[in-house]
Amino acid sequence: MRTPIPRFLAAFAALLLLAACGGGGQAGQGGAAAGPPQRGGSITVLELNSFAGAWPSGLDPATNTTGGANLSQMNAIFGGLFALTADEDGGNARVVPELASGYELADGDRTIRITIRDGVKFSDGTPFDAEAVAFNFRRNITSTCTCAPRWPLAEQNGISVEGNSVVLRFTRPYGAVINSMVVSNVNWIASPTALQRMGPEQFKITPVGAGPFKVVSNQLSSELKLTRNENYFKPGLPYLDNLTFKSVGGDQPAYQAILAGQAHAYEGMNTTPLIEQAQANKQLTVTIQPPTSPYLIQLNTKTAPFDNQKAREAVYYATNVDAIRKGLFKDWYPAAQTFTGPGGLFHHDTIDGYRTYDPDKARALVAELGGLTVDLGTLKSYVAEQVMTALQSQWEAVGIKTTIHSDQLNALIGNFNSNKWQAMLQTAGAWDPAAGVGVGFRFAATSSFSGVSDPALDDLLNQAAATVDPATRETLYLQAGKRISDNAYAPYILAFAPANVTAAGVHGPGLTTKIPPVLVNTGVLWDQVWTSR
Amino acid sequence: MGPGLDEPVTAIGAPRRLPGPLASPALRLVARRLLTAVPIVLGVSVLTFAVLSLIPGDTAQLLLGPEATPEQIAALNQQMGLDRPAVVRYLDWLGGAVTGDLGNSLVSGQPVTDELGSRLAVSGELVGLAFVLSLGLAIPVALIAARRPNRLTDRVSMLVSITGLSLANYVLALLLVLVFAVQLAVFPAIGFVPLEQGLGANLHSLFLPALAIAFPLFCFYTRFLRGDLVDQLHGEDYITTARAKGIGPWQVLLRHAFRNSAFGLITVVGLNLGTMIGATVIIEQIFALPGIGQMLLSAINSRDFVVVQACVVVFAVVAVAANLLTDLLYAVLDPRIRYGDG
Repeated sequence: MRTPIPRFLAAFAALLLLAACGGGGQAGQGGAAAGPPQRGGSITVLELNSFAGAWPSGLDPATNTTGGANLSQMNAIFGGLFALTADEDGGNARVVPELASGYELADGDRTIRITIRDGVKFSDGTPFDAEAVAFNFRRNITSTCTCAPRWPLAEQNGISVEGNSVVLRFTRPYGAVINSMVVSNVNWIASPTALQRMGPEQFKITPVGAGPFKVVSNQLSSELKLTRNENYFKPGLPYLDNLTFKSVGGDQPAYQAILAGQAHAYEGMNTTPLIEQAQANKQLTVTIQPPTSPYLIQLNTKTAPFDNQKAREAVYYATNVDAIRKGLFKDWYPAAQTFTGPGGLFHHDTIDGYRTYDPDKARALVAELGGLTVDLGTLKSYVAEQVMTALQSQWEAVGIKTTIHSDQLNALIGNFNSNKWQAMLQTAGAWDPAAGVGVGFRFAATSSFSGVSDPALDDLLNQAAATVDPATRETLYLQAGKRISDNAYAPYILAFAPANVTAAGVHGPGLTTKIPPVLVNTGVLWDQVWTSR
Repeated sequence: MGPGLDEPVTAIGAPRRLPGPLASPALRLVARRLLTAVPIVLGVSVLTFAVLSLIPGDTAQLLLGPEATPEQIAALNQQMGLDRPAVVRYLDWLGGAVTGDLGNSLVSGQPVTDELGSRLAVSGELVGLAFVLSLGLAIPVALIAARRPNRLTDRVSMLVSITGLSLANYVLALLLVLVFAVQLAVFPAIGFVPLEQGLGANLHSLFLPALAIAFPLFCFYTRFLRGDLVDQLHGEDYITTARAKGIGPWQVLLRHAFRNSAFGLITVVGLNLGTMIGATVIIEQIFALPGIGQMLLSAINSRDFVVVQACVVVFAVVAVAANLLTDLLYAVLDPRIRYGDG
């Protein structure tokens, strides 16, 4: 959730451009590591206090209710059974085993056997084995965190241990189980011994995992100090001696702290003027991550005016995506016509028959409808508010009377739950459309946050999540995208992804190279982050 | 018949003669204020609780995010005790508060008092330093400006004051960081160094945030004090009398005019305490300071009512204490003032 403060700071950022330092130069091109990685050094990473920089319930995977936002902290402490990695340019993204050594699907994708890497120890020296993993699975699936997996577990023997493997048995095929692992709390395995020794209340403050770092101190939602885990299973890693996460109030103070040398990286910057300024500064590296979750305008087809397809079509034709992309965002973010982005799986740039900007058609439809009045809302954030304001002026230009409002998360949820909303500017999709906050979240009839109730669409999405075969999944998702377009359920805007800003001399996968975001931010591989500073 | 020149002046009626330690007027004032503080703090806590209860939204929903199912929300609400009636929850909290237990955070489960202590120290230092900076700069500048009104020094100080008053705290904070941390690199842009690591380093880390809070107040105090001093110096008989006795201009200014103007200054300083507390919430975000303001904002965002309640009550106690201190300072500055019991 966004507070008003970052909004003020973002608004003021443009004024500071006149006075700020940072001359001309080549745009920071993250990814090109300057020489071989070096051991040692310490860095401070800033996280936005309204998202990744808030961990009010602690960092125990089973009780951290904001685990999805705290990917960096959790990955640094616990590592992961699996990780999403990619080539330096963000291409060839794939999930690879880390603390797991592999997996195999059986029984028509109803059973998955995850093999645990031999010889791994938690940072407290206790063994990291299948029993510990199964213990964590049982504990984490009951978590109230939205990052808890939705496994269709069999009632009998749903989770069992066989040798050094953990076996999961499902009631139905669930092909997306591994891809969804990297955005869920079952990826983070805590030391059962340390948990028992400390008790859950202390463990959430100073958790123990088998990741590259261990906790030195933890002031909730303020500062997390980590130091190198000498027991880490990868020889010679992590590179860094110390890693500190600090919560900061907005993009502007974060940017200035990096310029002043008090911090070395900031994840998730989305204030366009600041990104532009940072790109012009030779002392900084700006890495805009490959987008996976496009912005779209959800239309509530269950109530007027958008229960009428002509009203929905009018909005499609009234929306000038290219003007928004170029005018507001310097052509950084590609246009979208479906729920996938260039950084995600099964992406297609275009959908056959998709309705693009045509103001004359929009005016004609508005006239045919006898006028059109729309209430458009969004979640408070710099990018969303900029887009929403542009949409209002574009829609007004073709005769659609538009009121706009941006809300805090609580109010937004209230609007969805009331089912009286008309149009919502949101993001949809994920790296794997079936994982995490995927496409079903915005389009499935069973979701509280969907404006669509279409059994045929639900069926397509469910089939795509169940199967493992990529070609089959791609075909199904393409059909789903076409169905959404044909029925004019939701016009898409652009595929946005936040940027990471790092000081010169700091390098690492996901930080200065591109890895598709798994949940808003990218899952940085902290064991391979290094500094020459 | 009125009181003689050397008799105590009473505010309302004649003082009651109380036996023992409460015979002292100052002690009676303290005792009375402490008694009135209880309903004030209680009222603030009730009001805060009521407002938090009326805010739309649901703590569990916010913690769990938009994907949460109704079952998950109900389970978490039950786990946090939020399924109980508001009155029961308030009385439960109040029962703990009177014994010094402000409860456990709804979100982290940690005792609120554990975290309040360390965070209060940070915010206390920040406000204290801002207080010293604002007054420490305002008094000499106002004295110099009032000494020769409408001269260059006076005009410059007024121009700076007007400019400073028009700057919002967070804008000033960002500008200070830009100049002193980014360009000149003489102060840190973010972070806090605890006192245990040395007073110098500690003050170095707090100087910019304290200045961001202090500067608008310095401008306000300077304008106020300068105006009052000029009025005293040019319109009061006792100043003319002092000058006729051959007392030097600086002595007239300091021993006579400033002493009278100090009453008004104390009042506005007391009234501006709320402004200072409000400013710390924003400034702590910008400078990433682990103070009570950061704690409060985080708690508001996560609907952690217990922590919000505790923070607001702490602010109320501080405000009451500051008002009491202001009243006592009047008595210190003017021994003729005595407080009745009415």
